[in-house]
Amino acid sequence: MDTLASLLHMSPAVAWMVVKIVIVFSAVMILASVWTWVERRGSAMIQDRIGPNRAAIFGRIRIIGLQQLLADGIKFFFKEDLAPTDANKALFWLAPFLAFVPALMGFAVIPFGRSFTSGGHVYHLSVLDPGNGMGMLYPLAIGGLAVYGVLVAAWSSNNKWAILGGMRSSAAMVSYEIGMSLSVVALFMTTGGYDPSEIIAAQGHLPWHWNVVPHFLGFIVFFTCMFAETNRLPFDFAEGESEIVAGFNTEYGSMKFSLLALAEYAHLMTASALIATLYFGGWQVPFVANPTVALSITSFVLKLVFFAWVFVWIRWTLPRFRYDQLMHLGWKVMLPLSMVNLVFHAWRMSQGH
Amino acid sequence: MGVVVKKVELSWLDRTYVWPVMKGMGITFNHFIKQLFTRTSKRYTIQYPDMKKEMPAGYRGLHELKRFEDGAIKCVACFMCAEACPARCISIEAEEFSDLNITQGFEEKRPQVFKIDMLRCIYCGMCEEACPKDAIWLRNDYEVAAYDRLSMQYGKWDLMNTYAEADGKERITQDPMPSAPRRAIAM
Repeated sequence: MDTLASLLHMSPAVAWMVVKIVIVFSAVMILASVWTWVERRGSAMIQDRIGPNRAAIFGRIRIIGLQQLLADGIKFFFKEDLAPTDANKALFWLAPFLAFVPALMGFAVIPFGRSFTSGGHVYHLSVLDPGNGMGMLYPLAIGGLAVYGVLVAAWSSNNKWAILGGMRSSAAMVSYEIGMSLSVVALFMTTGGYDPSEIIAAQGHLPWHWNVVPHFLGFIVFFTCMFAETNRLPFDFAEGESEIVAGFNTEYGSMKFSLLALAEYAHLMTASALIATLYFGGWQVPFVANPTVALSITSFVLKLVFFAWVFVWIRWTLPRFRYDQLMHLGWKVMLPLSMVNLVFHAWRMSQGH
Repeated sequence: MGVVVKKVELSWLDRTYVWPVMKGMGITFNHFIKQLFTRTSKRYTIQYPDMKKEMPAGYRGLHELKRFEDGAIKCVACFMCAEACPARCISIEAEEFSDLNITQGFEEKRPQVFKIDMLRCIYCGMCEEACPKDAIWLRNDYEVAAYDRLSMQYGKWDLMNTYAEADGKERITQDPMPSAPRRAIAM
């Protein structure tokens, strides 16, 4: 690392930061784009269909349809990129980035592997080192920003279906944010800190000590709210073919549309990383007290991929909610449940557990 | 008189909503695993250009004009099929044939032109029903398509050879010269 840094005329800290950013964000982006394929192929398998398997390089080499990603990308790239006449052009162009950037940024504080020491330096495997003072508040705040992407996309299109979709999804996001935050607050209380590395360290390597066991109610609430946060299917009120055409991205096409679609999957990756970190021990390997760095990274990636798959799985299992049912669930079920969870853990701590 | 709709009473477990979701996920996961480990040939979806559906007996697909073993057409140009055709897609021109047969005291009719306009045909099978000689069959080929309209006009030789490869018969492009009467006439 030091030789690489001196070759590039950078300080080792900066070089390490650049390497981390490149690895983390490219990994998340690749995973997000692969997940568009997983979604289509997985949903096909769940519904006894086959799914996209015919895209092939030179019409010959098919790797179970993975080239579909490439084909889609090329197709989106060469589509005409137009904005409606009456749209607010600046915001219309800005919206996909407003959706995509927060979805990626949420990943910055999440440790994806064990910290290690090499040559007197301590290397932390998260883009922002632990102890930065933001901790878990950062991904939650950034997650709150994600609503701007949807809302700006909807508003700038100057389309009534788009604005309806945007309003619905922002209302859903805002109302689920409260339940989610309260369930995470209970977790902060029992951990005694809000830094993700502290939370992971407090969970230990035994699966029954992971937060999902004592905080099961909080986990259910957090998990459900993550679906509303990412606008995924049981709660995908930004879209809805039968009601509001394509919702907030009705007017979008070409690369801007693909960026909006990718933002959803990047958000999904961040959400599964959050679930893995908060409730399933992050990079902790079950039953291995001091895992090697590679093993801890593998463990984290496996957990992340599993929860990302659960997002897809649930999408193709559950029907959509009606809008009033969504609000009912958010305000009258999830919020009280997370409060009960908070009060229960506060009482438990006051009893000296 | 109204219908009394009976409300389904959900059990306590069902009302938590978590357990039914898990059950539903179990069902979808079963489907996922089953489909994932089913060979492509056993799946419900038929991957069309690579795999083709085996049509059931009695399927009404592309027509075939049947022939005798020596390659002579079975059709006697009676116009029954053309009359029965609701789409009016069959056009026949008849001819007499076989000098040999004339010397033996009878003559036969056969179509000189037998044309089916496949663009008009509705594959109803009425021609097959009407035929007194079982000379026209609708069989299992469903891939009737072409790049231009003219190729969809199937003539006599097209129709006689439609299933030549499938049945392992040779393609014929002209009527055989009968060397002997095909059947003995009961005098």
